[in-house]
Amino acid sequence: MDNRLQTKMLGKDKALKILTDIVRKSEADQTEAVLVGNSEGLTRFGESVIHQSMIESNIRVIFRVALGKKLGIASVNSLNLEDLKKSLQSALQIARLQKENPYFESFPAPEEIPDLQTYYPETAAYSPQQRAEIIRQAIQRADSYGFRVAGALATGEGEMAVVNSRGLSVYQPYTQVRFNITALTSDGSGYATDTSRNIQQIDFSQLIETALEKCSNSRNPFPLEPGFYDVILEPPAVSILLQWMGHIGFGAKSFQEGRSFLSGRLGERITSSFITIYDDGWDLAGVPITFDAEGVRKKKVILIDKGVAANVLYDTLTGARDHKPSTGHAMLSGGFHGGEPAPLNLFMEPGEASFSEMLASIERGLLITRFHYVNGLLDTRRALMTGMTRDGTFLVEEGKIKKPIQNLRFTEGILDAFSRVKKISRERHRIGFWGSEIGACVVPALLIQGFHFTGKTST
Amino acid sequence: MNTKDFLKETVTYLKQKGVDYGDIRQVHTTRQSLEVKNGMVENLLEDLDQGFGIRVLVKGSWGFAASSTLTEEEMKRVADQAVEIAQASARVNKRKVQLAEVEPCIDTYRTRIEIDPFQVSLDEKINLLLQADEVLRKDPRIKVAQGIMGFNRIDKIFASTEGAFIEQTVWESGGGISVIAVEGSEVQQRSYPQSYHGDYATRGYEFILGMDLIKEAERIRTEALELLRAPECPSGEKTLILEGSQVAIQVHESCGHPIELDRVLGTEISLAGGSFLTLDKLGKFRYGSRSVHITADATLEGGLGSFGYDDEGVKAQRTDIIREGIFVGYLTSRETAVVLGQKSNGTMRADGWNRIPLIRMVNINLEPGEPSLEELIADTADGLYLSTLKSWSIDDLRLNFQFGCEMAQEIKHGKLGRIFKNPVYTGITPQFWGSCDAVCNRNFWHIWGTPNCGKGEPMQAAHVGHGTAPARFHRVQVGVRK
Repeated sequence: MDNRLQTKMLGKDKALKILTDIVRKSEADQTEAVLVGNSEGLTRFGESVIHQSMIESNIRVIFRVALGKKLGIASVNSLNLEDLKKSLQSALQIARLQKENPYFESFPAPEEIPDLQTYYPETAAYSPQQRAEIIRQAIQRADSYGFRVAGALATGEGEMAVVNSRGLSVYQPYTQVRFNITALTSDGSGYATDTSRNIQQIDFSQLIETALEKCSNSRNPFPLEPGFYDVILEPPAVSILLQWMGHIGFGAKSFQEGRSFLSGRLGERITSSFITIYDDGWDLAGVPITFDAEGVRKKKVILIDKGVAANVLYDTLTGARDHKPSTGHAMLSGGFHGGEPAPLNLFMEPGEASFSEMLASIERGLLITRFHYVNGLLDTRRALMTGMTRDGTFLVEEGKIKKPIQNLRFTEGILDAFSRVKKISRERHRIGFWGSEIGACVVPALLIQGFHFTGKTST
Repeated sequence: MNTKDFLKETVTYLKQKGVDYGDIRQVHTTRQSLEVKNGMVENLLEDLDQGFGIRVLVKGSWGFAASSTLTEEEMKRVADQAVEIAQASARVNKRKVQLAEVEPCIDTYRTRIEIDPFQVSLDEKINLLLQADEVLRKDPRIKVAQGIMGFNRIDKIFASTEGAFIEQTVWESGGGISVIAVEGSEVQQRSYPQSYHGDYATRGYEFILGMDLIKEAERIRTEALELLRAPECPSGEKTLILEGSQVAIQVHESCGHPIELDRVLGTEISLAGGSFLTLDKLGKFRYGSRSVHITADATLEGGLGSFGYDDEGVKAQRTDIIREGIFVGYLTSRETAVVLGQKSNGTMRADGWNRIPLIRMVNINLEPGEPSLEELIADTADGLYLSTLKSWSIDDLRLNFQFGCEMAQEIKHGKLGRIFKNPVYTGITPQFWGSCDAVCNRNFWHIWGTPNCGKGEPMQAAHVGHGTAPARFHRVQVGVRK
């Protein structure tokens, strides 16, 4: 039996034809049409039961038109020609009412974008039965420990096309898998996660075992007073800090408005020289995507280069303001970043340390699996953030993991913390952006001296 | 086939498929959003979104499938998918879902509005935001001046195999203004009526007109500039009076989320976490002081969490959550209410046609008390008055929280004094609410609308409300310990 649920993908020729035809009908000086389609299945489980399993198919077309320097945007989730024409007319009507945008020069010109494999048929074809089977394995393994499991497995396919009246015409199909698992018992929990374009890259058994082992080791946690501790932050903990840095500071908008920790500091040393962070949509080690919401080829941009503030991410509008070309980081209007340029493929350079070397160098400190509910809005110029530990926080003494501890709250300037990095692991992990269906980090573990914990939890 | 016939046809098809239970929601949303920044119209967009979602219960397991193509052929394909998905889950699940009974309703519901926001010209909306923007930018230290508005019209039809057929039209309007002032390395922000997204309600354009944005622009610009040179907020254990919108976010994070029964039962644990309000605490746990009376009320006119029926066809209700400080009620669904031997109190909502309903806050309200704000301040010898959310974080059981506010004002001998920047306070939920000794009266009570409450996978943004007034709390840790 072919388990594949019928694809809703249009394919390159049909998607580009629909957009090209409608763009040709536009009366605007310039017109851009973006098509985003997706068909994704997601199965969630909790208390070792599948409590939600679903599939969604949707296609949205977003029009952006220019009348001189006046811009109008409208969107619709229909491919019906009358609906498309109506939406295009709405965009035109909005543009007529707009004020001029002094930074608008033009929609992007066409450029060569090489092919990159981002679509894997086996991932697209992954069925609800196959997702349920993975979860059955997780439940069975958890049963053998006497634990419960919770999490989610999402698999699906999507496509994105951009056409504009200057002749730009680009298309990319993609697939994606996201998996997270939390193992639980009455007095402990453990966590593991991975994401990829290709389901073959996901080692489900290993992830399940990691979560169960963490849970087993985290039982009977004891209270520890807040204070300054040396810490090893495992990749999920590092990832959420980078995701927040992307949200508050790597994009040109926050940089230009003076809100970013990079504002006015390009060329300055802001972290330890061990730290290099970049965004690269082409690196197959991550979750690649080759062009942005304006159809501009994604450039590899080094954001922090050996501790020095190096660059920010531009779309065409923010780029024009700084007389810089777009770096290919335009977001769809109205998205998580409110249409501001933002990273979706963050990487931190690995170091040379093994995990055991990192552990061995700690006299007294903590091993942190992940953070919960991090907020980076306390003071964005310092990247001051707060959050709680969860799902495996351990005391390390004399280079050995001694015992689990109860969760702690940190409040820490992340640039300061990254200035106190002592070791970086050579191994890196892919971690999907928290709470988002797009975006991922590829990050190592970090050993940071004197991380500031400011509170603890209690009942 | 018209929409009503389409839904009826779907229900017939689901019955033919032999599902234990099935429902279909068809949702059509019109959205308009405007953003003015530094004298320019930064964003102005309109969006139309429509589709349907089919939810089925087969052999005790759920399946859900959704599509934006409204044809009979597509409906059958999607219904078949939903059944196939449920069957796949049923092969794994040892526990079968049971649903609390509900009387199937045939009804219509429409938000009462005075001015349809979609009939107000874009020119008028833009001009109002630009006028406020001009006031906000009357000082070179204001680096970012922003004004936003958003309007939604949601037309939704729900039909179930049990016979429910409910049509609803909900209008939502909202907006606000904010500034960021910069001087050297100092950055300070002020917002009105709330930070980050403004204030929202199930009202028409009259809600925007009632905000008096131009007058308030003057105030928040002045306050942001004063904050640039204000001293740091002093640390230590303090008496706090929280301004109404800050009480709203406190209710949201430390009460609204932990009373969601699906969280309590473990279905959100991997993403958003669980809850300290475990089943054994119902009816006996002291959550707060006797001054703390919290209700869940989806029937309040104008509240952003108000509607006629939830997305399981359960009628909107008012429920006690905390009564004189004692925890007495959860937010429930038909599935989770069975655990308590109760009927659903109608809180299942989905973020659009393509999302499965989850238990979501409605309007979670701290009921008003006796004093006026002036009386409460006059009754406070030494404390701080904290305004407007700046940062927020809470642990995975909703116990340890930390909030930052935009501005603190000293209270000395019953009078407001100088302002402080960067106030942060932290606490443990039951201890914090246990220290609440006064809530201001109904004249100071307002239903704050939060249009971006995140939960679930895929992430769903719910539109929820919080009726709150300023309230006083004692012995609260201000600042982070060194």
